[in-house]
Amino acid sequence: MIMDIPFELKSEIRENRLIISTSGYINNIGGEAIAKEFNNHLGRGIKYVVINLSGSKVVNSIGISFLLEILETLQEENGKLIFTNLDPAIDKMLTIMGIFKFAGKASNIDEALQSFPAQ
Amino acid sequence: MNNQSNIPSDSLSDILTNQIEVLSKKFPNFIRSVSIQELGDQIIQYLTLSFSDTYIEFAYRSATSNFWKVFSNSGAIHQQTFKQSRIESFGDSLPDNNKTVKIKIIHTLDDNSAIGILLLKNNPDQGFSDVDSVSVRLIVYIIEMAYRNIVHHKKEKDLVFSLNHRILQLNSLIETGIEVEKLDQTSSPHHLALIRAASLTNASYAKLLVASGQKIKEEYYFPEHLQNNRPVDNTNQISTKFTYREDTYIFDLFNKESRIGNMPFDDTDQLLLDALAKQVYASLENRYLHKETLEKQRIEQEMSVAATIQQKIIPIALPVIKGYDLAGINIPSKSVGGDYFDCLPISKRKYILVVADVTGKGVPAALLVSSFHSYLSAYSEGSFTLSKLATRLNKVLYRESTDDKFITAFIVILRPELGEIEYINAGHNPAYVYSRGMPIRELKGSGLPLGMFPDSEYSSERITLRRGERLLLYTDGVTEAQNEGGKFFEQKYPLDKYFSKHQHLATKEFISNLVKDIKAFTGSAPQNDDITAMSLWRL
Repeated sequence: MIMDIPFELKSEIRENRLIISTSGYINNIGGEAIAKEFNNHLGRGIKYVVINLSGSKVVNSIGISFLLEILETLQEENGKLIFTNLDPAIDKMLTIMGIFKFAGKASNIDEALQSFPAQ
Repeated sequence: MNNQSNIPSDSLSDILTNQIEVLSKKFPNFIRSVSIQELGDQIIQYLTLSFSDTYIEFAYRSATSNFWKVFSNSGAIHQQTFKQSRIESFGDSLPDNNKTVKIKIIHTLDDNSAIGILLLKNNPDQGFSDVDSVSVRLIVYIIEMAYRNIVHHKKEKDLVFSLNHRILQLNSLIETGIEVEKLDQTSSPHHLALIRAASLTNASYAKLLVASGQKIKEEYYFPEHLQNNRPVDNTNQISTKFTYREDTYIFDLFNKESRIGNMPFDDTDQLLLDALAKQVYASLENRYLHKETLEKQRIEQEMSVAATIQQKIIPIALPVIKGYDLAGINIPSKSVGGDYFDCLPISKRKYILVVADVTGKGVPAALLVSSFHSYLSAYSEGSFTLSKLATRLNKVLYRESTDDKFITAFIVILRPELGEIEYINAGHNPAYVYSRGMPIRELKGSGLPLGMFPDSEYSSERITLRRGERLLLYTDGVTEAQNEGGKFFEQKYPLDKYFSKHQHLATKEFISNLVKDIKAFTGSAPQNDDITAMSLWRL
């Protein structure tokens, strides 16, 4: 059964890498919250971002459009975005929407952090 | 660039030509920009190189925004900053604004968005020439072309996104169809379909009710935590419903999201919701049929076990009793009842004959018959009277059976040499005795079924079976065999007529002919009960 919990977001910086972890439905509200959190850190020189979706099982295309925007911004900055802990349904959705042509995916946060260039 | 205000016309022409050449070289870079951000960077770089010691701003305002997105060089190459300012105040918030020489152009684009360029000399003593103004004008037109390209690129991107979204919807529709079929029997396919429908149509909230008449049987909400505090706009809603058996499934989706607020659901959303609801319907139907098939298989397996038990206790051959012709038959129905017959020798001078029928069908009935057979075999070796034997059988069967299970039985002790028939009827059909030329006699008896009450007692009765007389014990599968019209066999073919018609037949044929007659009577109607009969003919 799909876990259904209110949208929540947590973020942390590890060695100048931004890690955003979410739980709940990534729709307009969820997507906007992720983009806002990302933009808050963008001006501080953050170019490598991990979005950990371990607590999110449902996403809609509005939520995906925010993720695409983050991806485009990071491309312009020569940065990189990696998604982790993807539910199979979300993995498939992001694949169809073309996200993984430019973003990476990893099974967990540590694996994602290791795939960024060394500082 | 030239800082002089008055330039000879030949020189002006040369400068402009030079400007156009430089711009032509930069033109491909501007045109390749796929975002305002990228274009802004290009413009600032170009202007910074072209206008030394100048503070430069390039600004963009979308048609729907009240804010300028401002790029500037902060007075030095590549040190760009970004800020937003109110539409009416672009370029007006700089220090010493009134004292500074500047070029400021605001240009409205095709889609009502606007761009602005602001150039301020860092040294107030320096100024801009006419050529500078013309150059900036030229740049504005190039920006306009580049912007058209960005708009075109964005439309292309939106189209790709939209196409991908349609592919996603189709894919999810197929996947959901498979998933709702895969779910185990405790999960609800309708809940999964509701979540998928919300996600694929960008609904911010979804609700599903399963109702039977006025009674709500199931309620689902997505997201669930919004159940009691949902931001629902009832005017922005699509619904679908279907009825499966007694239950009506009502799906509601609310508030279609977009990046600029809620928008109305479209026809595709409705089609998608309808399609998902149809998948749920098909899934419910398949689940029902699957459950029915499993139940049928379970019953068939049970019947097979019951049939095996029954076949093991139904005698293959009956003892040969001197001076008598004895035969019995059991034709189990498809659903296997609990009929039983047997003849057990107690001694050379006594035999027990029994025909019995257990209430219910299947394994429980077969097991009770098996117990009955075992106890009867055990007790028949003792020296009990028939009454005692029946009383003991009743006690043990009462102990072993459930409230709804009991056995009707007609039990006979035959003393062959005397032709004596001592019998007890424990709630069973009466036995018949036929003597040529005489009316048929019924041996009724009056005992209660075995295993029904703990303290039932039984008393036996006796008759003498004379030479040429025939005794028939049977179960209700004989007399109550039904034809397609719902009539009972005995209604049309009373057994006394059968006796007189077949009086000359050996017992085995007598019994098998009876079964043939029953089969001919019932025709294609299904056999609902076991057919069991045993007959004894005194020669």
